[in-house]
Amino acid sequence: MSLRGHHKATTATVQTASLLVVRFGKNLCGLPSAGVRGVLTHEEAGRGQSVTAVGITYHDVDLAGRLGTALDPSHPDMRVVLYSNGQTHGAVRVEEVIGMIDVQREECRPLPPQFRQDERTWVSGTTFFQERLVLILSPEWILGELGEVVGTGAGPRALSES
Amino acid sequence: MLRAARQQEQAVTAKRSWNVVVFSIGGKKLAARTEDVGGVAPWIDPIPVPSRTPFVGAMLAREKDVMPVYDLGTRLAREPEGDTLLCLVARHVDGPMAICIDSVIPSLHNIEVNQIIPSKRMDLETLGSFADEGEDIDIVALQRLGHSRPDSLRS
Repeated sequence: MSLRGHHKATTATVQTASLLVVRFGKNLCGLPSAGVRGVLTHEEAGRGQSVTAVGITYHDVDLAGRLGTALDPSHPDMRVVLYSNGQTHGAVRVEEVIGMIDVQREECRPLPPQFRQDERTWVSGTTFFQERLVLILSPEWILGELGEVVGTGAGPRALSES
Repeated sequence: MLRAARQQEQAVTAKRSWNVVVFSIGGKKLAARTEDVGGVAPWIDPIPVPSRTPFVGAMLAREKDVMPVYDLGTRLAREPEGDTLLCLVARHVDGPMAICIDSVIPSLHNIEVNQIIPSKRMDLETLGSFADEGEDIDIVALQRLGHSRPDSLRS
């Protein structure tokens, strides 16, 4: 492989973001796919506070709670996403796994500048999937490495309707 | 010459009055300069965003356009009223921002500058207030909403 060819390959890699799109209530979130280690059904994951797979223990991560959504554990589409950044391993319960998507970088937008605080590191940006907004979450926030839990403010009537 | 004089007179008149949009949140009347308003549309379900920025915790997505929601109702301890709530688009310095308002259609008013009272409110960014039908109506500085320092009266 020539240096020139290698450069081209690198450029192609960074122009696309690969995301696992999952649903919490009516809202979609994108988990960077590099951290996805597996997807289990509720039965496969069991009811404990952690899931062990291939010798690694994934501790329960309440991402739905941090997103202000209540999960229905009896929902048939509910899945447990095993997620890791190499240091922290988390089992993320989601209402549904929509699928893996590749998004062009230019289709990813940062949060609007009116979001001025820590959320800028929690949410890497936004994109669209089937005309629905997807929040792209940072792996560290998914795994609860970035500090305390803060709820969301969806504004008038939104939470009661969701 | 007559035309030029008339245009000048109109310009002076324009500076002596403000065109404002009067809207309400939870029955409380508020106003905004027309140039600070990007439009009014039906309210749609916002998408919650985990956030620590006060009163900015959701976004609206219309087709491929995304804008943050400013929860002015919560800031004023008011809940928007009506069956079909409306979305007022604020022309904020950082970009358009959606505000949920009552279902009452906003109305246009022309206010003489000498009717505008400089605001002493420290809890809301305003450009002043004026009296209408016995009620004080604050003119919200939509461009600077969320910035803590209140604006002074502009002429």
